[in-house]
Amino acid sequence: MGITRRDLLTATAGTAILGSSVIPRIGFGATKTVKIGFLAPLTGEVSAWGLPGLYGCEVLVKNINAAGGVKIGDDTYTLEIASFDDEYLPDKALQGFKKLVSEEDVKFVMMLGGDPWPGVQRFANQSKMLATTLLPSDLSPDTPYLLAPCEVHPIYNVTGVEYLARNFPDAKRAVICAQNDSLGIPSVATYEAAFEAAGIEVVDVNIFDPATTDFAPLVTSLLAKKPDIFCYDTAYADFVNLIAQQLHNQGYKGLQISCTCDNYPQIVEKTSKEFMEGFIFQFPDFDDPMLNEPFINFPEPNKFFADYNAAHPGTWTAVSWEYPSIVLQWIEAAKMAGSIEPMQVLEAMKGKPSWPHIFGEADWWGQDLWGINNALVGKWPVVVIRDGKAVIAEYGDIPAWWAKNKDVMIKRMRDRNQMWDQRA
Amino acid sequence: MDIILQTCVNALVASAFFALMAVGLVLIFGVMGIINFAHGELYMVGAYLVWYFYASQGWPFLAAVLAAFLIVTVIGLLMERTLFRPMRDNPLGGLINSIGLLFILQVLAVQVGGVGLMKNVPPAYRGSLDLLPGVSIGNQRLVALVIAAALLVCIWYFLTRTKVGWALRAVAQDRDAAALQGINIDRISMLAMGLGAGMAGVAGALIAPLTRVEPYMGHGVIITAFIVTIVGGIGSLSGAVLAAVLYAFFHTFVTTYWNGTVATMMGLLIMLVVLIVKPTGIMGTRVSE
Repeated sequence: MGITRRDLLTATAGTAILGSSVIPRIGFGATKTVKIGFLAPLTGEVSAWGLPGLYGCEVLVKNINAAGGVKIGDDTYTLEIASFDDEYLPDKALQGFKKLVSEEDVKFVMMLGGDPWPGVQRFANQSKMLATTLLPSDLSPDTPYLLAPCEVHPIYNVTGVEYLARNFPDAKRAVICAQNDSLGIPSVATYEAAFEAAGIEVVDVNIFDPATTDFAPLVTSLLAKKPDIFCYDTAYADFVNLIAQQLHNQGYKGLQISCTCDNYPQIVEKTSKEFMEGFIFQFPDFDDPMLNEPFINFPEPNKFFADYNAAHPGTWTAVSWEYPSIVLQWIEAAKMAGSIEPMQVLEAMKGKPSWPHIFGEADWWGQDLWGINNALVGKWPVVVIRDGKAVIAEYGDIPAWWAKNKDVMIKRMRDRNQMWDQRA
Repeated sequence: MDIILQTCVNALVASAFFALMAVGLVLIFGVMGIINFAHGELYMVGAYLVWYFYASQGWPFLAAVLAAFLIVTVIGLLMERTLFRPMRDNPLGGLINSIGLLFILQVLAVQVGGVGLMKNVPPAYRGSLDLLPGVSIGNQRLVALVIAAALLVCIWYFLTRTKVGWALRAVAQDRDAAALQGINIDRISMLAMGLGAGMAGVAGALIAPLTRVEPYMGHGVIITAFIVTIVGGIGSLSGAVLAAVLYAFFHTFVTTYWNGTVATMMGLLIMLVVLIVKPTGIMGTRVSE
């Protein structure tokens, strides 16, 4: 049996995380520093999907550096995260991207993506800078240097719906609510496709203004449709929190499904364990035993979760592990390339049809939806709240779903003007 | 029928908050002639104080609301003394000062509470009251509604049944004539500012468990408050209350049956129409030069 890429990744990054108390520090020569750019919303209402990612990267990098750094080619590097708050605004993102590339000399830039990406795209191409997004809807044939190597939002949402349909076959009427932005709308199209594929009728879709503060009317409106399933789409963390409270207050007792459920203990506290029982979403806590499966490409997730919560208690969200997992992938690619230069690292990553995604081996994919195979798509966890605690129920298979329902998804995406050729 | 009644309940709660905000704004404008752009941030400070005292320090919710009222009232008094009184003859200066304070309060909130996810303020009164089958109101909302309504009644009583209230209204009608009657304008201005600020603080405090508590939460609220005061008639307290109720019902029904974005757009449109057709608002009166 040969050494797999997972073994390699685990051996490199994993030994670093284990720390010097477990594995002797390697006697490297003089170390250099490589800077990694972090360009995401650190303030404002989308910051829940930026700031916790920065925290996660800092925890990861601290452990890696404490264990001696990483050896790439003939050099040993310590890692440094250079961050910039794009406030989820295109012009701020461009300002940040330029600063990170020109002044900080970063070797790749991690972004949340979404609204800020169009502001950055031209400069990113001109500077030939390797960049990553959590939102593959940013991808198009015009983004050759942009990868979505971790999160394939919103496509993985189909796994939650598939799980729901299989376990609750009597649930046939769904309502969807989503904020009107680049996170909400493609997710609506995805949920519509997933529900259609599962034989569930979407009886209402309410696309609301992100400035909404009182969700009572929205909930009243949607509950009037007598749904069996309430879908939060990719609503911001605060929105899920407030909408759940309203659902609870207005007596909803049906199924709930969402892309994320950040800070769910708060929601459990504000509503009840009974109300939140069976809530389906897509982002696990990292103390979940199912993350210790052999195909998981993230060294010691449980320890990472503990380290993170010790350093930043109460801030864990969907992205706390995603950006760090991208850092680990970059390390793996840089080692393979023997270089930290962006184009060589990109070539190493894209040089093979598949690559070790955090949830197992995954394929470079996306031509049909985004016109370019720059997203890693494979398995994705379906998470369910049981007795007030999020647990992984299963790993859904996105390519398998796609093989069966590709046409439905493309139709729904086109109906919502979310295909890459519709996004001018 | 359920949905209509539930929407009425939702609108009733919204009415109370819109009225609290608008009446405070009108009091300040009526007496001092200053449009207080920082009014939304006073609401934000009230919410943050409840987060701090109730959610973080474990005070009883109502004690935290009282503390928020008192502290924001004091902030209002200080605003009057330091920002607005020196600008009494320069309304534009007062407006600019209030905009400056708006930013200062936002930055202070960021410094104190950070940014990111909303501050977690659990409801003090859990569960809900079933009014009819399919029609319910959350207990936290019910308590907030009762307190807000009681406060509005108290304000009405104070303004219409007490000498100080009469003095306040007299200053709002004609400052010079009121001064000739021996009314202390400085004191009345402080009272109006303190009361108006305190009401904004209470509104924020009561709604803290029901909304996003974050440094910029005052933005949307101040826009609504301006719509209500303009539609009601700038300077008219009864107009503000009436417009708050009408606007809340209109906005809530349009949101429920159509869309929240459309509701806000139509609200602004109504404000424009009122400004064109009846610039004095529903209950405002024309003042001749």
